[in-house]
Amino acid sequence: MPTTTKTNRAYWVTPAAGLAIGLLYLVGFSVGGKPGYGLIALGVMTVFSAAVALAGRRSETVRGLLDHRDERLAGIDVRATAVTAVVMILAVLAGFVVEVARGHDGSPYALIGAVGGVAYLSAVGYFRVRS
Amino acid sequence: MRRAVAMRNDVRERRTAKGLAQAELARELAVSRQTINSIETGRYTPSLPLAIAIARFFGSSVEEIFHADHD
Repeated sequence: MPTTTKTNRAYWVTPAAGLAIGLLYLVGFSVGGKPGYGLIALGVMTVFSAAVALAGRRSETVRGLLDHRDERLAGIDVRATAVTAVVMILAVLAGFVVEVARGHDGSPYALIGAVGGVAYLSAVGYFRVRS
Repeated sequence: MRRAVAMRNDVRERRTAKGLAQAELARELAVSRQTINSIETGRYTPSLPLAIAIARFFGSSVEEIFHADHD
């Protein structure tokens, strides 16, 4: 629980995901012939993951966002994610309009928007059945 | 459509009557101290499971602790 120092498995998902993304960056840059950039990206993600894990030991809010055991903080996380999604949708729409106005076909924004739309409809269908 | 209902509660009164700090009540209910504070000040309405857990902790019913102020 957030008021203790005990951690559950969920607590480590975000730091672990940060490390995994860092490794993906390393592989991507290495395949692209720039392993040095990959090592820098991995280092940045390692520092980020360690900072998040340490912050969770000091901050009740960070801890709650990581382990999702506190329902209010879990709700805040969901709403913050929704706000982030709206901002990303607006950015994708703006990018699409700019690309179309330049005489291009709107890629890659059209594809990103399509993925987002399919993901939203799939999620609505899934949660409609589950709740 | 149902109208929004403001909620009041007696959590702070019952907690202080037991001589508990917010952090102690939070530990008992497996939530954060911030959540207890938000509930007490009316900024956050707990889920039904948490409301039941609060009521059980104080040996009361949910209706005795949480009060709906109909508009």
